[in-house]
Amino acid sequence: MEPAFWTALLLSFQVALLASLLLLLLGVPLAWTLAFRPFPGKVFLESIVLLPLVLPPTVLGFYLLLFLAPEGPLFRLTGLAWAFRFEGLVFSSLVFSLPFALTAYREAFLALDPNLLEVARTLGVSRARIWTQVVLPLVWPGLLSGTLLAFAKILGEFGVLLMVGGSIPGKTQVVSVYLYDLVQALRFAEALRASLVLLALSFALILSVRLLERRWRAWRSATG
Amino acid sequence: MEVRYRVRWPLTLEVRFQIRGFTALLGESGVGKTTLLKALAGLIPAEGTPFGGLPAEKRPVGYLPQDLALFPHMTAWENVAFPLRGKDRRERALALLERVGLGEHAKKLPRALSGGQKQRVALARALAREPALLLLDEPTSALDPVTKDRVLGELVELLKREGLPALAVSHDPLLAGMADWLVVLGRGRILQEGPPEEVLAAPASLEVARLLGYENLFPARVVPGGVEAEGVFLRLPLPPWAREGARAWLGVRAAEVIVVREDRPPPEGNVLEGFLERLHPEGLAYRGVFRGALTLEILLPRHVQERLRLEAGRPIQVVLKPRYLHLMPG
Repeated sequence: MEPAFWTALLLSFQVALLASLLLLLLGVPLAWTLAFRPFPGKVFLESIVLLPLVLPPTVLGFYLLLFLAPEGPLFRLTGLAWAFRFEGLVFSSLVFSLPFALTAYREAFLALDPNLLEVARTLGVSRARIWTQVVLPLVWPGLLSGTLLAFAKILGEFGVLLMVGGSIPGKTQVVSVYLYDLVQALRFAEALRASLVLLALSFALILSVRLLERRWRAWRSATG
Repeated sequence: MEVRYRVRWPLTLEVRFQIRGFTALLGESGVGKTTLLKALAGLIPAEGTPFGGLPAEKRPVGYLPQDLALFPHMTAWENVAFPLRGKDRRERALALLERVGLGEHAKKLPRALSGGQKQRVALARALAREPALLLLDEPTSALDPVTKDRVLGELVELLKREGLPALAVSHDPLLAGMADWLVVLGRGRILQEGPPEEVLAAPASLEVARLLGYENLFPARVVPGGVEAEGVFLRLPLPPWAREGARAWLGVRAAEVIVVREDRPPPEGNVLEGFLERLHPEGLAYRGVFRGALTLEILLPRHVQERLRLEAGRPIQVVLKPRYLHLMPG
């Protein structure tokens, strides 16, 4: 394996890790709101959040590029130009992986018995305590499996990240884009080796998500 | 304690009633029993006294929902300790479990406990926050039918020992018999309240009588000295409101329709001739239908059936004793 592969893989991991942590931070409260709180325009918001599931990655990537470009809306609002930068990759990853994580988080919350939360409130304890002692212990496997799924999705994403980041080695060239460049250069032997590593990684991730879900389901049916 | 509450959502409810000791509130499904409890617990918006305007966290009530909602990942003592704070929360939780007679089950998870035991853990957890009122939603539903009477009896006993007023909502008339005070809820309003023996013997309306399990109910007309129901004159003491010619409802419980024994002197009046249409065992008693000038459901205790040996198709006489006939305004 040549060093450029490891550099690209490391970059993919960094993007995926940071975006996953941000997902947990932002996605969990958003999923909670979508699961339990009625508000006007909720269906509309849900549809927007789910849109990346069906949008061609190049379309999403193109809009993100416009948004993040120098002189783009983000720049005019905040002075930040994130296109072709690490920050742009993380931001874009957050957007396209949100529906995956959100769906899993929401399912975990909806599986909670609402009576548990109501009774917890009548017991006069703080909201923070209800979260740390009742909600999180019961939903963490769901949150973790959703996050792992999003992590795997980011690790394998190609179209959006190529549009937003291009292919600057060591800076925005993620592992899927690196592989594409290898094939473009007809370096098939290296491409094959890189693909095998990615295949193994992806399989390990999906396997752990499935195992986690199975354990969770068994545990829920035992406790419920 | 007087309760005055008004709820607008998810259904309209305006009620005013007393809570005295262990109070049972009976009502059919869908009249808003759970809604009323949740309103009292502060879980749905409502106005009224007591506790009006306080958020759920601040109300001194213990709420036991129908499924009890024990935290499945915590042991019995951890459930009880949940509302407690401080270093001695474990000791205090264990003491509470002792108080409800579950000391030796402290380390079990809820799934390892029976319905009655879960109910006591939920009770101990509610007691931990020192409530001024306990709210119980369908407390008989979590219980095994075979031991329901005993387990419920013990629960009521325990609550009386604790001296804690409780409001238990149910559609199970069994609860009514054990209560200190009985309230009957109709659609959106209270139909009747009073000591259980009074309400059970003298329901104020047809709706209450149906809910309290009166099997035989007939439209009737007041005549001098009694009523006429489906063309049959029945003698009974008339209540003050019953003017001659007034429309009314006549109720009699199946268990209080008495089969006449041929070896005894004949009763004085209200005797109906007819035949036994059917008879089938119900637990240790026998339930059947008498068909004559009136069609009546009857319920015979075992010892009566053992003596009479009745069979379907046999001609029999039944007597409706005036003191078991209950008249309600029509």
